[in-house]
Amino acid sequence: MARTLAMFTDTSLCIGCRACQVACKQWNELGLEVPEWTGGYQNHAHFTDKTFRLVRFIEEPGGKPNGDLAWLLMSDVCKHCAQAGCLDACPTGAIYRTEFGTVNINQDVCNGCRYCVSSCPFGVVTFNEQTGTAKKCTFCDDRIHNGLGPACAKACPTESIQFGFRDDLVKKATKRVETLKGLGFKDAQLYGADSGGFLGGLNAFFLLLAKPSTYHLPEQPRLPQRNVVVDSLLSIGSALVVGLGVMLSFRERGKGGPDA
Amino acid sequence: MLKSPHWEMMIVWYFFLGGIAGGAYFTAAIADNFGSTRDRAVARAGYLLSLPLVGACGLLLIADLGVPSRFLNMMRAFKFWDPMSLGAWAVGVFGMFTLVSSVLSLSSSESMAAVRRKVSLVGMLFGFFLASYTGVLLSNSALPFWSDARLMGALFLASGASTGIAAITLILFLTGHAGGEGWGKLKHADRYSMVIELVLLTALVALLGAAARPLTGGHFAPLFWGGLIGLGLILPLVLDFAGSRVRALGVLAAALVLIGGFVLRYVVVMSIQA
Repeated sequence: MARTLAMFTDTSLCIGCRACQVACKQWNELGLEVPEWTGGYQNHAHFTDKTFRLVRFIEEPGGKPNGDLAWLLMSDVCKHCAQAGCLDACPTGAIYRTEFGTVNINQDVCNGCRYCVSSCPFGVVTFNEQTGTAKKCTFCDDRIHNGLGPACAKACPTESIQFGFRDDLVKKATKRVETLKGLGFKDAQLYGADSGGFLGGLNAFFLLLAKPSTYHLPEQPRLPQRNVVVDSLLSIGSALVVGLGVMLSFRERGKGGPDA
Repeated sequence: MLKSPHWEMMIVWYFFLGGIAGGAYFTAAIADNFGSTRDRAVARAGYLLSLPLVGACGLLLIADLGVPSRFLNMMRAFKFWDPMSLGAWAVGVFGMFTLVSSVLSLSSSESMAAVRRKVSLVGMLFGFFLASYTGVLLSNSALPFWSDARLMGALFLASGASTGIAAITLILFLTGHAGGEGWGKLKHADRYSMVIELVLLTALVALLGAAARPLTGGHFAPLFWGGLIGLGLILPLVLDFAGSRVRALGVLAAALVLIGGFVLRYVVVMSIQA
């Protein structure tokens, strides 16, 4: 495997211009969608089958030290988890890991069972009614295989989205958190940078200025497959209890029933 | 901001019919292997019922795909840790067993019966699998209501048993075999699996706590409490215990159990889409 590639999204630098969202749409030819009114600047409300990069506009009333409204901006994307729920769930092998560590859906193999949709801890993967397949960010697979970075990172005017080798970016991000803390952003933290942390680390990781739940991110995302062993064992237990009961029903009466 | 997979009525029907197919088959296999020769009508009804049902299951699964023509892609991979992958394989293998058992159950020769009994002992394992894996499938998702209790597979298995047995009961009634020795045994087994189902369902709701809200509160609550718990479990249990000698009550109870089994799959799958 080649050196793992990553995207580092530093939300402290995001100005909410949506250049990433537009660049993603254009490069990946994602097409038109009906806009969604969410009561604020947030549009769309969430990832769709045609929106792979999405700027989140989070309004925090009284979030500033002087009591003013604070804006938290974050360009969200598929996390390309090191332990990916969608990849484990895929029964056809359409979802695969590339040599760069990114997670991609082979559109020619996916048959649209939609198991990956409910297996993503972040609600990223979306079913596309037109193609009948599952869609998500490809990490611009065509671009990274031709020496270019993802379109979103390329378009970002403030370097809020940075593309590079994962180990380099983690070092950079760790330094950036220290700097921000020194400047008084006491809640500045990395999300998904630690490869020993949840889901084995995220190959698209983030620097947040508040706790993850403020950004609608789970504090401790878990792999859906964590349940398979316990649930299977309980099912086997249930099978034994039910099977034994049915067996006894047929046995007991067989020996001493009214017309035996 | 988790997403539900938009599994709707076809998947509800699949879960329901798959449960009946699995439950009817393993009940038939148990009756065939451990019951008396007079239970052969039960075994035959179970085998012959599971065959068309598992066929319907396969068709439902294929029709529900985004690209149905690519259904064979399920056979590109075998992931033993993935319920969706194992399930696709198991439906196929179980289908073969139902076919072989059905064909063998048409013969009255003793040597054929011996083969059939041996085949069904193995096929039974796939019957148990088909009845329960759909629950494990749901609990391997990121959605708390489906996953947090980890009892969905066990619950679906008990429901597969009770609906499978109820379906055999109805077939015996329709073919004029009601009231015999096998009938009483079936009723006994059905009561037993319904009690287990009720216990598991209670445990599931208790373990889920707030995550059970799609089921216990909101739009689906009347269907859950009235349709599943009341009409689908408690009433048939009361009818079976109170009127175990009255055949009409037994038939009514079996029909209610089937309705309850459908409502269970319906509320579990659909309440999360709302």
